[in-house]
Amino acid sequence: MSAASPAARRGAATRVVLYAILLVFAVIYLMPLYVMLTTSFKTLEEIHQGNMLALPGEWTLAPWREAWGSACIGLECNGVHGYFFNSIKIVIPAVLISGLLGAFNGYVLTKWKFRGHKIVFGLILFSCFIPFQIILLPMARVLGILHLANSTGGLVLVHIVYGIGFTTLFFRNFYASFPDELVRAAQLDGAGFFTIFFRILLPASVPIIVVTIIWQFTNVWNDFLFGVSFASGDSAPITVALNNLVNSSTGVKAYNVNMAAAMVAAVPTLIVYILAGKYFLRGLMSGSVKG
Amino acid sequence: MSFLHINNVHKRFGETHVLKGVDIAIEQGDFLVLVGPSGCGKSTLLNMIAGLDSISEGELLLDGRCINDVHPSRRDIAMVFQSYALYPSMTVAGNIGFGLEMRKVPRKERREAVDRVAKLLQIENLLDRKPGQLSGGQRQRVAMGRALVRDPQLFLFDEPLSNLDAKLRVDMRSEIKQLHQRLKTTIVYVTHDQVEAMTLATRIAVMRAGELQQLGTPHEVYDDPNNLFVAGFMGSPSMNLVKARIVEHDGVLVAQVATGDTTLALPIVRDREALSDWCGRDVILGLRPEAITDPASANHRDGNIHEAELPVDLIEPTGADLYVVTTLGDASVNARMRPGTPLRPGERTRFAFDVSRMVVFDPESERRIRDEQMIDSALEETA
Ligand SMILES: Nc1ncnc2c1ncn2[C@@H]1O[C@H](COP(=O)(O)OP(=O)(O)OP(=O)(O)O)[C@@H](O)[C@H]1O
Ligand SMILES: [Mg+2]
Repeated sequence: MSAASPAARRGAATRVVLYAILLVFAVIYLMPLYVMLTTSFKTLEEIHQGNMLALPGEWTLAPWREAWGSACIGLECNGVHGYFFNSIKIVIPAVLISGLLGAFNGYVLTKWKFRGHKIVFGLILFSCFIPFQIILLPMARVLGILHLANSTGGLVLVHIVYGIGFTTLFFRNFYASFPDELVRAAQLDGAGFFTIFFRILLPASVPIIVVTIIWQFTNVWNDFLFGVSFASGDSAPITVALNNLVNSSTGVKAYNVNMAAAMVAAVPTLIVYILAGKYFLRGLMSGSVKG
Repeated sequence: MSFLHINNVHKRFGETHVLKGVDIAIEQGDFLVLVGPSGCGKSTLLNMIAGLDSISEGELLLDGRCINDVHPSRRDIAMVFQSYALYPSMTVAGNIGFGLEMRKVPRKERREAVDRVAKLLQIENLLDRKPGQLSGGQRQRVAMGRALVRDPQLFLFDEPLSNLDAKLRVDMRSEIKQLHQRLKTTIVYVTHDQVEAMTLATRIAVMRAGELQQLGTPHEVYDDPNNLFVAGFMGSPSMNLVKARIVEHDGVLVAQVATGDTTLALPIVRDREALSDWCGRDVILGLRPEAITDPASANHRDGNIHEAELPVDLIEPTGADLYVVTTLGDASVNARMRPGTPLRPGERTRFAFDVSRMVVFDPESERRIRDEQMIDSALEETA
């Protein structure tokens, strides 16, 4: 290494500076998470001593237990766990159904083109650009007519409808580069519309399925506006419950409990990223066609 | 009644007229090879036969039945695609067996059929792999296997060997030929490769810009081309095309070619009747390189050899042959001589022209000038 050229040394120096800057940003970005985590394991007295960045002097799980099972939200003191399961009940059907519908739309829009397919896709795409706030009132009215107001079912419907635009966009763009010849070959082999979709296209769609799941899961799980507008009381999702928890604590603010509840609300999206990211593989299409 | 009858078929993509009335009829067991320049509509025609593209106009008959509106899955046709189109998420065995599975063949029978085809194509050890884990040649075999496993009425092959290396290509070519001889299934095959076309075909269809130029046996297309395009397209190195004038010389019809200092007079033996009307007019002569040789390798038996001394411009040894380039009129002409013939550029040597193989074209319409009877007796003998 003694004979390293000046150019190589300059390259190394640049790299050190670059990594230093990146490190600073990473620390800034992770700081809130660190504070949340440490605070959630501290006792209230320790928090009141005021050193936010210190590690807990005495680790305690009590704030987590309280947040999960006995913290008061509004008038009831059962913690956030009921709302956590509400969110689960909303997110699973909403992600699966909107994803499947988006995949179907993408399949039809690319492989079974019909007259006007571009206009239809344009309209679906347009729904991605409609802000949440605009549809609140009409949606409330529709849910009322369907007798789905203030229910998790209603919220599932809202998320499916709102998600289809994005899922269709993802799958359409993915299937646009999926070779038509595979569909043609399958047709010659005697496969029909649904068989081609479920046996040929869907198994080759893992990367875009993962993208869709991450996107939809995060959006639906983190949604607050729809939740607070269309599902109140017992059917509220965890984001709404978290808000209520923070607002309804009287007297001393139990920061540790609030932080623990916030962590509970954040953990599922983290898990989805960690699990799904593993399957975020490229090159699944390799080998189907020449080149 | 022919087995596959493509009856005046047209294809339009919006404004573009891709196929302009193609007429092809072949018999059961025929091996039809479609050739033509890129973009002339070969794949389009194949897709229409398979039912993957609609027919704008005309009729498609398979075994006497009109299949214009029959769904691809009910046509009993198997196709090997230009890109192999293997299902990426299925194993090789799954790929090959998929067509049978869709046709509700029981699992055990399916397994046996897949094994049989895998053995035939020597891919038994690859059955559990995914297409992504295969080499180009192996993928190509799987694509073939997927078609072969089905025993259809008709096979369609779209340039199946185009991505293989030279050696594998030759191997696969002879395998396909053997396969056809064994199975005797009718095949329509697209290729850009001259040798593939000549060796595999029982019928060759030469296409150009959506129009059929000639349909015939490889021998007919090669030695008896309909027009200048077919003459120039088939064969490698291609046919020599030389400007000439037909004159009558001492009562004998000859084609006169000006070659710098002298004039070469090649006697007309083929299509004499038709050419007698062309006295005093300009034509284009077509002579295959193998019809111009050194005098010793020429076939003197029929007295159709005409010798002339010409300058040697260039020599190109290929190993098996020695191509000698000379000039006739204003065109470079390739002659095929025995390898080892001692020649050097700049020398003059004697060339032997086999005039029985000479074909003549109308320079304006580019059509062949030929006698009425379809089969030339002289040609039959040389065959
Ligand atoms: N969907 C389409 N829309 C418009 N034009 C098309 C379409 N498909 C093919 N064509 C045109 O039709 C013509 C014939 O195409 P085709 O694929 O049949 O050519 P080919 O003879 O198979 O060529 P190659 O030897 O390169 O494979 C081309 O000029 C092509 O541009
Ligand atoms: Mg093609």
